[in-house]
Amino acid sequence: MHGELIDLPALGPSGPYRAYNRRVVPDVTGAPFAELSMAPRLFVDRALAALRSAPAMPLPARVAALTEASRVFLHDNVSGMSFEDYAGAVSRVSGVPVSVVRRAGAEIANAAVKAESSAYGARPVGAAADWRDTATLAGRGVWTRRGEVFAVHAAGNHPAPHALWLEALALGYRVAVRPSRREPFTPYRLVSALRAAGFGDDRVVLLPTDHGGADVILAGADLGLVYGGDEVVAKYAGDTTVRTQGPGRSKILVTASADWRDHLDLIVDSVAAHAGVACLNTTTVLVQGDPGPLAAAIAERLAALPSLPPQDDRAVLPVTTAEAAEALERYLRAQAGEGKAWLGGAGIVDELGDGSAVLRPSVYQLDAAPRGGRGVELPFPCVWVAPWSPADGLAPLRETLVLTVLTDDESLVDRLLVEPSISNVYLGDHPTHWLEPGVPHDGYLGEFLMRGKTVIRG
Amino acid sequence: MAHNDPVLDLPFDVHPDPTEFLRAALRWHFSPATGSPFWLDRARELDFDPVEDITSFDDLTRFPNLANALREVPARDLVPRGYGASPGIVGIYDSGGTTGAPKRVALLNDWTDRMLDWSSAQLDRHGVPTGLNWLQVVPSGPHMVGETFTRQTIRRGGLPFTVDVDPRWVKRLIAEGRSAEAGAYTDHLVDQLAHPLESQDIGALLLTPPVLERLARREDLVALVRKKVKAIMWVGTQMDADTRHLYRTEVFPDTVMVSGFGNTMLLGHTCERPGLADGEPCVYDPFSPYMSFGVVDADTKRTVEYGERGRLVMHHVSKSMFLPNNLERDYGTRIRPLPGQVGDSVADISPVKVFEDEVVIEGVY
Repeated sequence: MHGELIDLPALGPSGPYRAYNRRVVPDVTGAPFAELSMAPRLFVDRALAALRSAPAMPLPARVAALTEASRVFLHDNVSGMSFEDYAGAVSRVSGVPVSVVRRAGAEIANAAVKAESSAYGARPVGAAADWRDTATLAGRGVWTRRGEVFAVHAAGNHPAPHALWLEALALGYRVAVRPSRREPFTPYRLVSALRAAGFGDDRVVLLPTDHGGADVILAGADLGLVYGGDEVVAKYAGDTTVRTQGPGRSKILVTASADWRDHLDLIVDSVAAHAGVACLNTTTVLVQGDPGPLAAAIAERLAALPSLPPQDDRAVLPVTTAEAAEALERYLRAQAGEGKAWLGGAGIVDELGDGSAVLRPSVYQLDAAPRGGRGVELPFPCVWVAPWSPADGLAPLRETLVLTVLTDDESLVDRLLVEPSISNVYLGDHPTHWLEPGVPHDGYLGEFLMRGKTVIRG
Repeated sequence: MAHNDPVLDLPFDVHPDPTEFLRAALRWHFSPATGSPFWLDRARELDFDPVEDITSFDDLTRFPNLANALREVPARDLVPRGYGASPGIVGIYDSGGTTGAPKRVALLNDWTDRMLDWSSAQLDRHGVPTGLNWLQVVPSGPHMVGETFTRQTIRRGGLPFTVDVDPRWVKRLIAEGRSAEAGAYTDHLVDQLAHPLESQDIGALLLTPPVLERLARREDLVALVRKKVKAIMWVGTQMDADTRHLYRTEVFPDTVMVSGFGNTMLLGHTCERPGLADGEPCVYDPFSPYMSFGVVDADTKRTVEYGERGRLVMHHVSKSMFLPNNLERDYGTRIRPLPGQVGDSVADISPVKVFEDEVVIEGVY
């Protein structure tokens, strides 16, 4: 289909950088699709040094550049690719349905426009944004960057996480993004747009690296953001300069005061929106009472989703190589144990005949909720339905990025909100994937990037 | 029988007929009057006669792997008797010692002189001026590299400045996952090299890629290197083509950059092939016929095709020492040899078989 591979250079402080060492980015059939230049450690060192010596732009210029970048990202040709070309490319390499990519792209563009208000929304009410604020005449906290250079080890599951680090740019950080080899197109386009919009080549860079280089980026930056699984979270647990974005394990709880039948759309949507690839997708549904009928109802709805290639406008399910799909299927089987399969028990792999396969949804009923809230999270609509009773308490609800609760019990809500391992609590008919610029996704990023310093003058 | 065949004592730039040379060397090493106690002892256990049956370099693979014997043998037994009471010992040196106890070899003057003459001529071909003072950030004993380069620098009319390195400690830190400590150790080396670099007339650097990389992070040192240093030689590990290109074009554009590959079981080192194009891997041609390489499949032990990777087999054959058929832990890419050379040339030498990775893990990222 493609005569030659799409060339994705690194984006360094002196412009695009094409290396001898390139990694092939395959599409979902396994065929080579793009070629990503890998930056050696020496290049990373020098790029970080350039970021560090580039002065932060004044806030108004940052805001203007973010707004312009939003427009470029959505409407301009970037390295010869229109937004539609971009969305198609992302769907081909990541297997995320193209309609989901388009929406995610629009979310990123929206987040760029709102990056200032989102970022500064985390500022403590007692702290001024600038030491020149007259409040400091009498002594006042001033909200201040903890460093100058921010590194991101990006995720490749879905484009939308790239919306988050724009807040660091809004706060004046210089940013180095290490793209996922699986889907480098989104950060490539976003970094290109930001550079064209006024940040220039030495304030935001794209540094594809191997694993060795990955550590160098984090070590050389002041602060970092890393996406990954439990191992990644554990690796950086003691590192106060690295914030991790770990498994989502988002959940829905339906207590006796609600009838799941009134909320089936919400539940199915929470599981299957974004093709089920996001950390915000529901992994576990806990219901007070018999989980069987609910599992059956979810299964019936999810079974109707069509199997289509990711670039098809009507596609709603994720696609990957047949080989990777089979590996996931084996993993799912091994993890399912005694669970009762309502959907996907005979397999989740639906081959499209070109080397790729659709990951079909799976719905399993469990006798008891996964221990400690740690249900198995997989990158497709994969949901575990389990019983819950007030006697079980909060334990099965822990380790949750978003918990949607359908209940009348305010004291339960009180307790859920203060539970440290639950990041967000949505009450009523709000899908777990709901997210708008300005609300904390896993805490405000600003809580991590900034600190209060007292200034008194005059 | 005159075993001390003159073909064993040729200057570095006179190329013996490989077979004639090999047979003379075997006669020397396996004759009671001239051979080492180690080899004379071992000869009894061989199921062939090394003097009669070994007629080509390919036959050297009939010798058993010596690695284990070299870990325990009394070092004096390694020295050929033909050298007499004063053999001219440079030193007794260890291999890396990453896999169990180190292997031990004896380095003799006559071989060292010949090897350094050859290596020095290689540096000339790379455009490295003579008379430079070298700052050498490489191990002293028990490793060979510190002593041989010190001698080389002196022979080329320069002064040797040294910073010592303990590679076994670094390897241990890395093996134990203590990469931050390994990095701190590397910075400690950079801190030490800063002083002679600042205060002395340093014209050449000998160091490892990780030390050079940490040096390059310090603008003050980069400026000093640009001002003073005419040549940088890196050894110890490989450097990828992109990194070499960055050094040559951006970081140290006016400095000769050349790599060396040394190995205890070769009893010496070689520089990369001169004239390689940007982007080509660093190819190493051995000092043939004294040093020779083979590249074999790790399982079948068959020679791999040119351009393919395999484990390195090394042979050292000189009057001073006979170290045939040493199967290294390291892998390399087999490269077509230069005309007249014994065995293969090699590139991209590293402890790993392949460079790719990737596994499936749980989660959405």
